[in-house]
Amino acid sequence: MRTIIAGVGYANLSDSSVGPIAIEALKKESWPNEVKIDDLSYGPISVVHNLAEARPRYERMIVITAADFGARGPALRWHRWPAVLPNPQEVQARVVEAATGVIDWENLLVVLQQFGVLPEEVYVLAVQPVKTDFGMELSSGVAALLPEVLAIARALAMGELSAEKPVRLNSFLA
Amino acid sequence: MCFKNLPIEFDESGKMTLRDDAVRAFGLSDRPHNPGPKPLSDAQIKTLLAKNGYIRDIDFDPVTRVAGALAFHAVADLKERKVLTSNSMATLFRGYEVIMVGRDPRDAIFITSRACGVCGGVHSVASCLAIEMAFGLVPPPLGVIARNLLLSMEFEYDHPLHLFLLAGPDYSRMIVEQTNPEVWEKAKSYRAPGRPWHGYETVGAIMEDLNPLSGKLYVEALNMTRVAREAYVVLGGKYPHPQTIVPGGVSTTISLQTFNEFYVRLQKFFDYSKKVIAIWDDLTEFFYAANPDYKRVGSRPMHMIDPGIWDDPESYDSTYTNCDTWGERRWAMPGAIVEGKLVTTRLTALNTGIEEFIDRSYYEPWAGTRFPKDPLGNPLSPYHPWNKETKPKPTGQNWKEKYSWACTPRWDRQTTEAGCYARLWNTAAAQKTRPNPFIESTGSSLKMMLPKSVLPEREVEWKVPEVWNAFERNRARAYCVAFNAAVSMNDWLKGLDLLKQGKTEVATPFEVPKKGRQLGVGFWGAGRGWLTHHLELRDGHVANYQIITPSTINASPRDPWDNPGAYEEAVLNTPLLESFKDKKQFKGVDILRAIRSFDPCMPCTTHIYAGDRVISREINTCACGADDEHEH
Repeated sequence: MRTIIAGVGYANLSDSSVGPIAIEALKKESWPNEVKIDDLSYGPISVVHNLAEARPRYERMIVITAADFGARGPALRWHRWPAVLPNPQEVQARVVEAATGVIDWENLLVVLQQFGVLPEEVYVLAVQPVKTDFGMELSSGVAALLPEVLAIARALAMGELSAEKPVRLNSFLA
Repeated sequence: MCFKNLPIEFDESGKMTLRDDAVRAFGLSDRPHNPGPKPLSDAQIKTLLAKNGYIRDIDFDPVTRVAGALAFHAVADLKERKVLTSNSMATLFRGYEVIMVGRDPRDAIFITSRACGVCGGVHSVASCLAIEMAFGLVPPPLGVIARNLLLSMEFEYDHPLHLFLLAGPDYSRMIVEQTNPEVWEKAKSYRAPGRPWHGYETVGAIMEDLNPLSGKLYVEALNMTRVAREAYVVLGGKYPHPQTIVPGGVSTTISLQTFNEFYVRLQKFFDYSKKVIAIWDDLTEFFYAANPDYKRVGSRPMHMIDPGIWDDPESYDSTYTNCDTWGERRWAMPGAIVEGKLVTTRLTALNTGIEEFIDRSYYEPWAGTRFPKDPLGNPLSPYHPWNKETKPKPTGQNWKEKYSWACTPRWDRQTTEAGCYARLWNTAAAQKTRPNPFIESTGSSLKMMLPKSVLPEREVEWKVPEVWNAFERNRARAYCVAFNAAVSMNDWLKGLDLLKQGKTEVATPFEVPKKGRQLGVGFWGAGRGWLTHHLELRDGHVANYQIITPSTINASPRDPWDNPGAYEEAVLNTPLLESFKDKKQFKGVDILRAIRSFDPCMPCTTHIYAGDRVISREINTCACGADDEHEH
């Protein structure tokens, strides 16, 4: 299955940059031809252009990003993206943000879906950030999570893990 | 004599001198002339709020989801339908000036590019120009041409995006039918004179296709931004944050093939600009006819500045000594417009007249004595960028004291604005355009010849407007789509000629000076207008770096004399023409049109407070409620 693993986030903002940092690590690994690793933090409108050009089209996408989901410390969650578009005014607001420079994973997915280039199967791998101000390194807690992030991204990309077969992490980390 | 407020005069040779000693000359006690509106005091506002139920706080506030950077606060009288006071706030400290200190100057190309998520390439070039001036480095002609062509394609991305994806929806059926049904009724039967070029019978049909997400004009613009990006990448290799912009030129390889691939994309903008101009001409004239008060939406004095762009490869030598000469050879003329009149085209005068104040900004003052004069001996203010230091000092928000992370740039101590339209205006008024087949400056207009493509050849003419407001900003931006295409055609032909002559060099080698002190300034432009990078090098490293962006100029808070910034002033002058029976229906579309007409390059998602009513977006978003979520 043609798959893209995508990092999304600003550079040099400590844990908020976990998406691009994870992508750099994943690029050093070997991957089958049908899996592409890319940092999609360059603006949703431009990403629309590039995904529209991709041949063959991507069928699966794994987004790695920082997201505040209310956990107290460093934490990791993943879920299948439900791909339900908000109302048109909300979508337009996301387009405006996208066009004026906001880099945000949810904006990216909404904009990609609106313009018909979102892959059929999308997973969001979200890391609860601890440190979000300027910094080129992850906090120690989030850095410790990074191997799990990479392993889950690989498992999702290779079809070893999915919403239909949520295997506990430890079963394939070894 | 271009200065009315700064005590600087010119001798016969054009050299500038102070009329007074420096301390007195650059003191802040004298209030400069500013014909703009004066806001009410806090006490007056409080009195009105207490006794009048129609006075409302209106906040256009960033939802600081990740990088919210602009917020806008206004107090409006919904009964009298006017804005009483307004404050523009930059809510984000970017700090590139601090990051740059102590670094190798070449880092500036890549680091300052990140100052903008939309148009990083312009920052890369501005930093290159500053470095070239500091190093005494001159790019080969094809390197200059390549930079010019790349810049045009950045703008061919920016302008359609703004006209149809950002500002366009404010003029769409979806919005106008809700906010002004009487205007929509008129639009349905209002004949569109530009039909031969855009194909629409009525303005109502145009509005229908301006609808966000689904409108044909909206979708078409999205596709045109792709064409512009492709053209950029054909020459520049990558966008955003291009890696091929280097001091001394570009690091890309240019051949006849790349030039032809570029042209395939460029020629699409010939027809597109014919259409875009007709659409915005018709929209503007329709709104004026529907209600002449629309001429006051976003209005402010005709003050604007621009350092010019698109260098002449035969003239540009990067030096400050000759910058007045090579500046006037640019396709877009440097200049300052004051009260609608062009008062200078000299880059040295533009540079000398620029100051940055921090009286309303979260910064500490600085001594400002390092450079009393520029390299030519012209006087410099302590508030000039070469003298400025960036000393952030966050404090609480207070409308009468400090309320923004943006500084307050002023030229000749007046509130000016930046925009692509300043390029049109300066170039039209100056009548100094180099001989060429596509652009003609008449003194009161700019004529542009758009070659035949699918549509026939068309000459378009942007005329210096009689009024200045939100509609004229958008109309001028539409003409800038044509200006970019016409300039590109000139540059493309020049580039072809250079290739034919075998002059294929695109960069000049250089070494970073290891000793001494050097100054540089990159005079350039973003899609939204004025962009300068001021640089001081000491022993091979950056000692000071100051960036003035167009959105800083436009979004600036009040100055030391309490004169509002350009956004603030434009909103103060905006009548509330929206139809609403009670305050719950009020959407603030006229205020939004005023702000958006500047093409603010800051994430400006909005939530609006109107008394007991709040429209807002979630700040932190994630799909944590999804059923099939997994934790580790």
